Amino acid sequence: MSQVEKKAGLLRRTSSSKKPLKEKVVLMYDEIFAKEDPAKNNPRFWDELFLMKVNLEYLESKLESVDGEDVQRIQDNINSLFHHCVQALGEEHQIKVVNALQTLCALFRGVHQKNKSASGFDIINMLMGFDKAEQRMKDLMERLDSLLCGDSSESLKSLCLKLLLCLVTVTDNISQNTILEYVMINSIFEAILQILSDASSRGQHGYDAVVLLALLVNYRKYESVNPYIVKLSIVDDEPTLDGMGMVVHQALTEYNRQYKDKEEENQGGFFSTLTSMVGSMFIADADEKLSVQTNEAILLALYEAVHLNRNFITVLAQSHPEIDIAATPTTTTPTTPTTPLGTTPPSLDMMSNPELPLDPNLQTSNLLITFLKYASIVMQDTKDEHRLNSARLCLIILTCIAEDQYADAFLHDDNMNFRVSLHRMPMRHRKKAVDKNIPSRPLVCAVLDLMVEFIVTHMMKDFPMDLYLRCVQIIHKLLCYQKKCRIRLHYTWRELWSALINLLKFLLSNETTLLAKHNIFHLALLVVNLFNMFITYGDTFLPTSNSYDELYYEIVRMHQVFDNLYCMVLRVSTNTGQWKEAASKVTHALVNVRAIINHFNPKIESYAAVNHISQLSEEQVLEVVRSNYDTLTLKLQDGLDQFERYSEQPKEAAFFKELVREREGGLF
Amino acid sequence: MPSFLPSPSISSSPSLSLPSTPSSSCGPPQATTPPLGVINEGVAELSLVIDAEVAQRACQEVLQKVKLRQVDSDSTLSQSEEGPDAPPSDPEGPAPGSVKSARRRQRHNPSKQSWLLRLFESKLFDVSMAISYLHNSKEPGVQAYIGNRLFSFPHEEVDFYLPQLLNMYIHMDEDVGDAIKPYVVHRCRQSISFSLQCAWLLGAYSSDMHISTQRHSRGTKLRKLILSDELKPAGPRVRRDPLALTPFCPAAPPTVSPGPLGGDHSLSPTKRTHQRSKSDATVSISLSSNLKRTASNPKVETSQDEVTKLCRSFSSLYRPVRLAPQREFIKSLMGIGKRLATLPTKEQKTQRLISELSLLNHKLPARVWLPTSAFDHHVVRVPHTQAVVLNSKDKAPYLIYVEVLECENFETSSVPIRIPENRIRSTRSVENLPDCGMTPEQRAGSFSVVPNYDNDDEAWSVDDIGELQVELPETHTNSCDNISQFSVDSITSLESKEPVFIAAGDIRRRLSEQLAQAPTTFKRDPEDPSAVALKEPWEEKVRRIREGSPYGHLPTWRLLSVIVKCGDDLRQELLAFQVLRQLQSIWEQERVPLWIKPYKILVLSADSGMIEPVVNAVSLHQVKKQSQLSLLDYFLQEHGAPTTEAFLTAQRNFVQSCAGYSLICYLLQVKDRHNGNILLDAEGHIIHIDFGFILSSSPRNLGFETSAFKLTAEFVDVMGGPDGDMFNYYKMLMLQGLIAARKHMERVLQIVEIMQQGSQLPCFHGSSTMRALKERFHMSLTEEQLQLLIDQLVDGSMRSLTTKLYDGFQYLTNGIM
Repeated sequence: MSQVEKKAGLLRRTSSSKKPLKEKVVLMYDEIFAKEDPAKNNPRFWDELFLMKVNLEYLESKLESVDGEDVQRIQDNINSLFHHCVQALGEEHQIKVVNALQTLCALFRGVHQKNKSASGFDIINMLMGFDKAEQRMKDLMERLDSLLCGDSSESLKSLCLKLLLCLVTVTDNISQNTILEYVMINSIFEAILQILSDASSRGQHGYDAVVLLALLVNYRKYESVNPYIVKLSIVDDEPTLDGMGMVVHQALTEYNRQYKDKEEENQGGFFSTLTSMVGSMFIADADEKLSVQTNEAILLALYEAVHLNRNFITVLAQSHPEIDIAATPTTTTPTTPTTPLGTTPPSLDMMSNPELPLDPNLQTSNLLITFLKYASIVMQDTKDEHRLNSARLCLIILTCIAEDQYADAFLHDDNMNFRVSLHRMPMRHRKKAVDKNIPSRPLVCAVLDLMVEFIVTHMMKDFPMDLYLRCVQIIHKLLCYQKKCRIRLHYTWRELWSALINLLKFLLSNETTLLAKHNIFHLALLVVNLFNMFITYGDTFLPTSNSYDELYYEIVRMHQVFDNLYCMVLRVSTNTGQWKEAASKVTHALVNVRAIINHFNPKIESYAAVNHISQLSEEQVLEVVRSNYDTLTLKLQDGLDQFERYSEQPKEAAFFKELVREREGGLF
Repeated sequence: MPSFLPSPSISSSPSLSLPSTPSSSCGPPQATTPPLGVINEGVAELSLVIDAEVAQRACQEVLQKVKLRQVDSDSTLSQSEEGPDAPPSDPEGPAPGSVKSARRRQRHNPSKQSWLLRLFESKLFDVSMAISYLHNSKEPGVQAYIGNRLFSFPHEEVDFYLPQLLNMYIHMDEDVGDAIKPYVVHRCRQSISFSLQCAWLLGAYSSDMHISTQRHSRGTKLRKLILSDELKPAGPRVRRDPLALTPFCPAAPPTVSPGPLGGDHSLSPTKRTHQRSKSDATVSISLSSNLKRTASNPKVETSQDEVTKLCRSFSSLYRPVRLAPQREFIKSLMGIGKRLATLPTKEQKTQRLISELSLLNHKLPARVWLPTSAFDHHVVRVPHTQAVVLNSKDKAPYLIYVEVLECENFETSSVPIRIPENRIRSTRSVENLPDCGMTPEQRAGSFSVVPNYDNDDEAWSVDDIGELQVELPETHTNSCDNISQFSVDSITSLESKEPVFIAAGDIRRRLSEQLAQAPTTFKRDPEDPSAVALKEPWEEKVRRIREGSPYGHLPTWRLLSVIVKCGDDLRQELLAFQVLRQLQSIWEQERVPLWIKPYKILVLSADSGMIEPVVNAVSLHQVKKQSQLSLLDYFLQEHGAPTTEAFLTAQRNFVQSCAGYSLICYLLQVKDRHNGNILLDAEGHIIHIDFGFILSSSPRNLGFETSAFKLTAEFVDVMGGPDGDMFNYYKMLMLQGLIAARKHMERVLQIVEIMQQGSQLPCFHGSSTMRALKERFHMSLTEEQLQLLIDQLVDGSMRSLTTKLYDGFQYLTNGIM
């Protein structure tokens, strides 16, 4: 009988235009959705089922079409199907395993599609049956684990990961996916790590594994103890962490490359440069086209790794040439699945040093550089929701990095100099920076550049207040590190000062519109305190004595802004209102800036008067500043070098919940 | 006379050879090989298998002959017959002249060798003489005797002549080879580092042979034997000394894991790294696994008891790794050099170097070490960001710093446990810092200064920047300004009610003061990355790297540095090093205060090697380029006014080193003396580096640099001008140095002469190399005539236009100032 059916199946494939004969597999599905136990008439029913090519569409549609009452009827059969799928995963026959994996995928999807509103428990009941669910899921996870860790074919492993991803993303909100409770209990964390630690498997499945991990970490992360969070936070095996970094690095590099390609496409040729010079009205359009889908899943993974695992910080600085990672010769890490990770004796594996490919044109890069480039692209345009979220996540990651001492150490390492070409928004009033001239500097300079760039390019009506706050806080954290460690960074601080002053100016001129939505005084306070850092602790981290003079010069030159700010905050703080408190803090913070202005302005004026000069040159002003320090007294302010540490909970919880929800919608 | 007979115990134990010889100078063998003394004794059987029989037979033959002759001439064995110039029992000391004349007599008068034995057995017979006789004697018996006699010299003394020994082994006749081999094989069994050293040198010195002969040459065969890792310490003689043996023989893995000399990593944090320790045990066992050979040797096995059987069961479990890790380590360093050479710019080279080294770090710690170091250690980490690419036109030599943990014996001590990179903080817990100079109260006080940061009870804890303050006591050097800053901080946070006022002028003053206080540093130049790295004072660098290292808290932590040269032949450098060392010891012996700094050279092959960098020194080129000052002004800037003690000390150092190197340059005809090849150290010494052109070779044969040595007007200015006292002192030092060198000329010549054998090195080009070298010692001149000669040389060099021309030439072609 089965012979005939198979022929029919073959026939169908060859003559596809005719009205299809029902495939054998479809007939078998129909049997499952009948009341009877399909194995009753045919004891080999399940064996045969998994030999057939899966018809996903049919199976899913069948599941969706089941009505409420039918559910009860066929539940036994579906439970049975699930059970046999899990069992088939243990088969030696690869075809059976593949079919079982696909069938499971269809089962999860179909059942969820049908019962969107149903509680997780109903779904579990329908799939596995309450009483057996625990055992079924345990078996499933164990089988998947052994498939992933064993030496099964790569496509099979890939399918396993796809099934897991399917399971994880099957609900709109990951935390409502009750089945995941079983994935929490029966951890596949180790399997994921193993995939990441091996170069070849990482090349093929790294992306899926990293995304899966990021999603699992976000399952009910605030409500319960998520074992994946705990496990991820203590991983200290370097090859594995490196592997994770490589996957992220590669994904971000790919994004950067795509963006660059598009950009070049858009501005290719003399004509387009000309048009952009003539009328910048087209630039906006061009920008739209430039947007490449951002990669939030990978960014989320990077965040979780940086935030949860402090060993991962070293990976950020792990430099490797900017190359297609898949092309690297496979590391000869001995694949011994039985030994726990990291137990290979150091001298035995001495020197399986993966030879780096030789290409003189390659610039050595590392994850942090790639990330900074990526962030510079993403942060250019924060208008749409996705990009805004990506930019926010980038800034959160940078916040975590800026707080970590080890990260700070390599950010400021004078021996680790890199040329980081950040993307800068094309703007009318400035030319595009020429990439070639970027000096090789410690990485922190690139971070500061990125912050300055953000500050000057996002002063718009739809003010991204929280991004600004994060940005200023990142700068503050870096300054605190420099102050404590006495690091005198050779950075053009002037650019930062003028960017910050311009920001204050913007806040002042848009006071009314901004106040409707934001507490601008908080931001103003942070900015003024950055100046206070420079004023009071400049001796500990400024690179030259001249730079201290320049700071005063800049403040005095832009005194109008500070004066206006003072007037504004004084006005608000003397009135009663919701901003009274916040504004009065700013007035206090301004005390030194005002002292400087009040001290030097008359001196400069009298200098001009005495020497009969109407317009003093910069050098002359600096001279006045230099000779009048001694009569100026400053007030030491409290807690300038202290900051609030980043903590995800409770402040950021909502953001991450939202991000994950949205993420899953757009993932597949 | 029977007491002069060599004891038959030679056959059973070469390390105890000639116990009856009155060579008290060379102490008992146990003393010379302390760590492996126990094992050494057991070596006997195995070295016997190789070649000792032949050597021993030969040795006995010659001694028999000598003895017979001695009986003949017993009555005539008096000083009168030997003449006044070469008394073997001369109490005045072994004047090299005596050796020479003795040899001469030996050639002319072979029948009368009775005195020779007395010389050999006198306490004045040292390695230098042994090598000399080995080289010059045509008598197989004498050669064989000396071959055996080598066992009785302290290892370090023989090690100095290892290049000579091996070169003789490779290029001289069978008899010499046979005489040397037992000693080499014996030492190889004892020591991994000696094995590798031999293998590298054998490879390097065989390379000049024709390829067809090379393959089957003795040197190549011995090299193969060594690298096959067949030469292992023989099984310990259980019967003889079972107690001393036990530490090397693991009864079970747990007892081994702390290592036989345990405790050296007891301070390392074992949290979370416990998995590693298991693998560590495997490595520390590797030595005991070498006992396999013993076990497979049926003759010895009979003498083994259960312990050995246990060991055997271990050796089947663990593959022995003896030479492999170190070879791989060296290979990877060379690989990096090769890959760097393909990159066009310094900046790319530097970045690549850093990234390659960071990968290398993943394999560390391991049972690897830097052969240029003087003490036993394990390499634990390469602070990759500190590495720099050195200035070179087409090769890519680079300098790396290497963190090591000192240990008693790198072969037996267990390899340290890996500590992850970012585990700096956790390792600096209070108990590891017993003497950081802060009482618990102070510590608590400093803690309270960190009231910031809300509690973040997530996976990572509160530390990072906050904890930096707690760690401040670590940074002793800038503690003073920390305290001032500290007090300001604490006042603000504790008594915030009272406003604190500070003067802006103070801040500005502190800024400029602190900037001025910082030692003069060089500006970072991507085209010359090494300048900054080399200018930083060594102590400062050590402190800085130690602070940033996860291993820095361990008491045995040390920092080493090494220059890796790939594509350069360092054999001439090694020759120069040996000559410099020899001259240094001659001058020391003769109490001439000449200052030179021989730096260690490791020849890995004919085109690769490593160099021990001179610390606290930058090249004159870098000095001039960075400071834009004349040399004298630079001295004034660095050391103070001309009358200060600091300046005078620096000046004296300069003069003494100038004199030393002037002589070296003259004697060895060191060429290519541009400012990039002359270093200036922090104490004012000059140090010549790069002996690529010595003796008969000079760069491109352009005929430049005809002067005897480099003595520019700038040098003379530093010495206080051509009429100053210091300049006269300089000339006087040179005269004294030359007289002393002349006295021990043979010791210098011998080093060069032996290496000339079979060598294609450019420094031996032509036939007159040795003759010319000998002539430069001017044996025939009186001291007055020598003084005249020195004056002439100095004058000639000062007036030399070619020096200036050569500097100009270098500036044009290589950009060296």
